[in-house]
Amino acid sequence: MSIAARNALIALLITVALVGTIAYAMNYLDQARITELSTVEDQLSIDILSLDTQFSLLEAAPCDSNASSTTLISELSNMGDRLSYAENQLGSDNAQVIRLKEKYSLLEIRDYLITKELAAACGGAKPATVLYFYSNAGDCSDCDKAGYALSYLHNTYPTLRVYSFDYNLDLGALKTFITLNKLQRSLPAFIINGKPYYGFTSLTDLEKQFPKGALSTSTPKL
Amino acid sequence: MSPEMLAYPFLFIAIFFESFVLVTLLSKPARVARARATGAVTPSIAVIVPCYNEETTVAGTCESLLALSYPADKLEIILVNDGSTDGTAAAISQFANHPQVRIISKENGGKHTALNAGIATTNAEFIGCLDADSFVEPDALHEIIPCFADAQIAAVTAAMSVHNPKNFLQHMQNAEYIFGITFRHAIASINGLYVTPGPFSFYRRSTINELGGFRYGHQTEDMEMALRIQQAGYGIENAPRARVYTKSPSTLGNLVKQRTRWTTGFLRNVLGEYRGLIANTRHGVLGVLILPSALVAVGSGMLLFFLMLYELTRSAVTAVSIRAGIPLSYIFMPSGPIDWFYVPINFYMLLGVTTLLASLTLIAIGKRISKTPGAIALGLVSYTFLYGLVVPLWLIRATADITFGKHRDWRSS
Repeated sequence: MSIAARNALIALLITVALVGTIAYAMNYLDQARITELSTVEDQLSIDILSLDTQFSLLEAAPCDSNASSTTLISELSNMGDRLSYAENQLGSDNAQVIRLKEKYSLLEIRDYLITKELAAACGGAKPATVLYFYSNAGDCSDCDKAGYALSYLHNTYPTLRVYSFDYNLDLGALKTFITLNKLQRSLPAFIINGKPYYGFTSLTDLEKQFPKGALSTSTPKL
Repeated sequence: MSPEMLAYPFLFIAIFFESFVLVTLLSKPARVARARATGAVTPSIAVIVPCYNEETTVAGTCESLLALSYPADKLEIILVNDGSTDGTAAAISQFANHPQVRIISKENGGKHTALNAGIATTNAEFIGCLDADSFVEPDALHEIIPCFADAQIAAVTAAMSVHNPKNFLQHMQNAEYIFGITFRHAIASINGLYVTPGPFSFYRRSTINELGGFRYGHQTEDMEMALRIQQAGYGIENAPRARVYTKSPSTLGNLVKQRTRWTTGFLRNVLGEYRGLIANTRHGVLGVLILPSALVAVGSGMLLFFLMLYELTRSAVTAVSIRAGIPLSYIFMPSGPIDWFYVPINFYMLLGVTTLLASLTLIAIGKRISKTPGAIALGLVSYTFLYGLVVPLWLIRATADITFGKHRDWRSS
């Protein structure tokens, strides 16, 4: 074997090793992200238990303003951001991502229901709530725009509670939730304070769908 | 399939090629070449300096040749004024009475005719060429001549870097030239060179006599001669410590013109008269690896550029589209503390970074091997951020010229 041929062979082995190392590093990073998601998921599991306990306690004094405030919504938002990023990195067909999305959706539904019940029991101003249904199966060209607009609204109006759901997620509770809300498959779809709204044209149009005074930068009393 | 997938094979080839250069650099022939002692032998030498409108630099070039550490009676300098229309004739006339210098004036006929005119007037054993905008280190000849110890070596190249780089573009070229030092040193050790650059390449006189003089070579007479030498079965060596400094284009327009000429010359020579060298095992690593890789590099340079352009455009359009109607105060709001979870690293990016790091390593090695003076930090920075953006400009222009059969004038192209 000539020196050039030997060198080419060694170079090929080095290249394969380098590319393999990069592939391994990427896989390692993705696994670390999943582990991180699992950590957040564990925290949310504790939060949901806490929420259940809180709800039981509130049955005795449902309208105690100190007791009824919850921090779960910000954790849900954090989890949602991470899940969305992980979905982009790992793919929407990744089994662990799907499992986490299912759990995340369940938590969202649960938080939404509890918030709704608390508002009903205590009266006063209803918190502005948006149920946002999207699809990342390539059949919703405006979903990215709608998602970004909702992020802006949530950031601008901290009292706004945004719950995002993947319409295509194969989850019984979510399907029932969609059916009960009589939602059509026309995405992006929103349920804003109980009223359905379809499609996204602009931030201004979306804001018009909120009841007057519903978007506020101050914290409402539940 | 993601468009990025198209880039993977080319990035793989780039990493492979850089690994190959590195491994070759560490293998015995290159190590022996680096350990080669400077020569005590002093055969007769003629250095030809073809000049066309080089009034500002030719005197400095000639003075650097006269300062060479070599016996005066063995070193002849031939200044060939190739029909210059500026003050070149006056600039070189100051050397008219120098015993080592001979001046030839002729009608303009191109660089190859100037070289041949110089060769015709000398009987020196070795012929050197030096562009009239280049300057040599005094010990360069003592590094070059020992490379001719093997009778099969027909030509020897030097270690080029940029003379006094001033702006960002010139620093980028300096880093690129120093990369070239590493590349030539490694590849010469397995006889894979296909160009003997204008700045201070030397030829065995007997080989030039056998093969004939310089030819037009599609405006790249140095490449044509090197390919002819390889085709004839001779070797081309490299002297990595024979330092020569050359002026480089200071503007993007001039750089693109120069490199378009080099690239079209390469493509026309290699795909034309010397097509038989490609994939020809008789010509060893040159035929099997170097020339095919150089051709792939032309294609991949353009492909990667268009891919990058496509991705950037797509991302920009998407980003603008998504953010339409959202207040700028939110769009440009700091995103808070950096979270490792969102670090945008992907496979494509890491392959690109690996390729770049390997290039920077080879540049650092080239500087060390050649002992090229001066700081390289700015060169590495400009090479990192600029090189990949400007190379496609001349690759695209050259490919278009080849495709449409366009021929540009050397100076005004």
